Amino acid sequence: MSVPTTIQKRQANTTRWLLLPGIVWMSLFLVLPILMIVYVSFWTQTTFSISSDPTLASWKQFFSSDTYTGALWTTIRIWLIVLACTFIVGYPTALFVGLFIKSKTLSTILLVICVIPFWTSFLIRVLAWRPMLGKEGAINIVLMKLGVIQQPIEVLLFTELSVIIGMTQIYCVFMVGPIAFMLSRIDRNIIEAARDLGAGFGRIFWKIIFPLSLPGVVVGAIFVSVMVLGEFATSGALSGRKVNLLGNIIVTQVGSLKWAMASVVGVVLTIVMGFVIAGFLRIVDLKREL
Amino acid sequence: MDTSVFRLDGVTKRYGDLVALDKASLEAGANEYISFLGPSGSGKTTLLRVIAGFEAPEAGRVYFNGKDITNLPAHERGIGFVFQNFALFPHLSVLKNVGFGLTHGKSGLSPAEIERRSLEMIEMVGLSGMEGRGVDQISGGQRQRVALARTLTMRPKLVLLDEPLGALDANLRSRMRNELRAIRERLGVTFVHVTGSETEALAMGDCVVVLDRGRIIQTGTPGEVYDAPASPEVAHFLNRFNLFDGTLSGGMFNAVFGSVPAPHAVRSDRDVYAVRYDRMQALPVSAAPKGPAIPARFIASEYLGSSVMNFFEAQDGHVIEMEHHLSLGAPQEFEPRQDYLLTWNPEQAIVFGREASR
Repeated sequence: MSVPTTIQKRQANTTRWLLLPGIVWMSLFLVLPILMIVYVSFWTQTTFSISSDPTLASWKQFFSSDTYTGALWTTIRIWLIVLACTFIVGYPTALFVGLFIKSKTLSTILLVICVIPFWTSFLIRVLAWRPMLGKEGAINIVLMKLGVIQQPIEVLLFTELSVIIGMTQIYCVFMVGPIAFMLSRIDRNIIEAARDLGAGFGRIFWKIIFPLSLPGVVVGAIFVSVMVLGEFATSGALSGRKVNLLGNIIVTQVGSLKWAMASVVGVVLTIVMGFVIAGFLRIVDLKREL
Repeated sequence: MDTSVFRLDGVTKRYGDLVALDKASLEAGANEYISFLGPSGSGKTTLLRVIAGFEAPEAGRVYFNGKDITNLPAHERGIGFVFQNFALFPHLSVLKNVGFGLTHGKSGLSPAEIERRSLEMIEMVGLSGMEGRGVDQISGGQRQRVALARTLTMRPKLVLLDEPLGALDANLRSRMRNELRAIRERLGVTFVHVTGSETEALAMGDCVVVLDRGRIIQTGTPGEVYDAPASPEVAHFLNRFNLFDGTLSGGMFNAVFGSVPAPHAVRSDRDVYAVRYDRMQALPVSAAPKGPAIPARFIASEYLGSSVMNFFEAQDGHVIEMEHHLSLGAPQEFEPRQDYLLTWNPEQAIVFGREASR
């Protein structure tokens, strides 16, 4: 006697098999490690060893130390500034590539050009800013030759400014891409219709183009936020250790085998990112828009 | 004094080597329904876009309300445009779509007044109760009405419609046809309707403008265009005529059906003999017809409700159509793959020729 298999049953089986690899992968390498980090953040840390006795010591230390809370505020401040900069630089670029360029081929070429810096390694891209921004770097030399300045500008390198410049350059393209994509999907007839109804460029932009590109802005902002919040390399290389982000704290704590403290910072960072992403997703209903 | 709503004077538009419009001249009166008829690529949409101000012509002038508007940008023209794909603002509700044109400072209206006028227009196009919906929550026909209402709230003197019924299904098409006419009559503005469908153009226009390869080849009332096409091309677009190539000489037209007298030929650069589908008659092969006749084989028939279309194939492969109106009695029965003689009264034929008198 064979058991009759209905189509629904067979489809349910297929669905299960298709889901399995994803579920296994995500559980092993995402859910489990996060649970582990949360657990370790409550372990007892002594100078040379760590034991699994539960304690709140590391958490208390994080919130009572100016170094750690300071790093939290610096991270949030740098994140907001970089986010604003990537938007200010990225939106006009995306507007040009996605909307003003009529040929699809040309706009694809321009987007590829935006990605060319990614052909070199991340660290080289970051370190390349040193000879640009340094006291005897390219920018100072050119400005002095032109007679614009007499003394080299020293705030350019190893300051918060250099970290912001470096991050804006590196992450800008993640803002440009999604916005340009949303802009390129806008039906040109809609813009003509608005023109025909008597709207000038400003009104067309604020009432039609910007609202329709908002999902792209949100996706771009999520990309940039997630990457900037977890940053440590750019701030390490361009601030001369003066700017400490949460990422830098994790690196030093892990370096000195302070696993419990590193976990606390990791949990705090994850919670911040969770709030940021949830906040962005409230702005637009991405499921509907994409 | 210029009494026309708009006037085109030798408008020419090129896209690279392609001439989309070739010295088009046209005058349209107030309170009229005008249809532009032509096959795709004939320049009818380009002409509409030039009038609206979305395209600038290389030569010629466009006049609107007696003023030269050739160099005026679209948003300052005050001409309404309804897009083929409706081009509604996808992120706005029906009410906000309809009111969009009024919400900028220029209209000088209060938000309450804008809402009142938008609702009034929504009611006129029959969408009351839908004003709060998003435009993706309504059907194709309703979107069409929103697009129309959005244009009409601006109270334009001239409304341009680019294939407005093209995106609708057949049933809805004929209903919207009546409604467009009714709405236009209520408002007393001029509508220009672009279409590739000859039935639509003839049914809707007070005036039909036929375009071919960037040229206006005939302008007239539907009756004039239908009864007296100005050229073989017009006869071809109307899709109501069997066309035979041949030669016109000495008042006689010579073609596959023999030599037929053609005293009233229309001047044209091609010699063509045209007979309307419903003027054809089919006789048995053995009959001796009075007029011209052509032997043809019956292929198939198509039942159209009020009439039957019969398709015959002549010996040279040319398909000849014959329409029988059912109000004139039951249709003839034809045997498939059988030969018949097709004949007609030569006085009802339209002859085009190079040596025509007029």
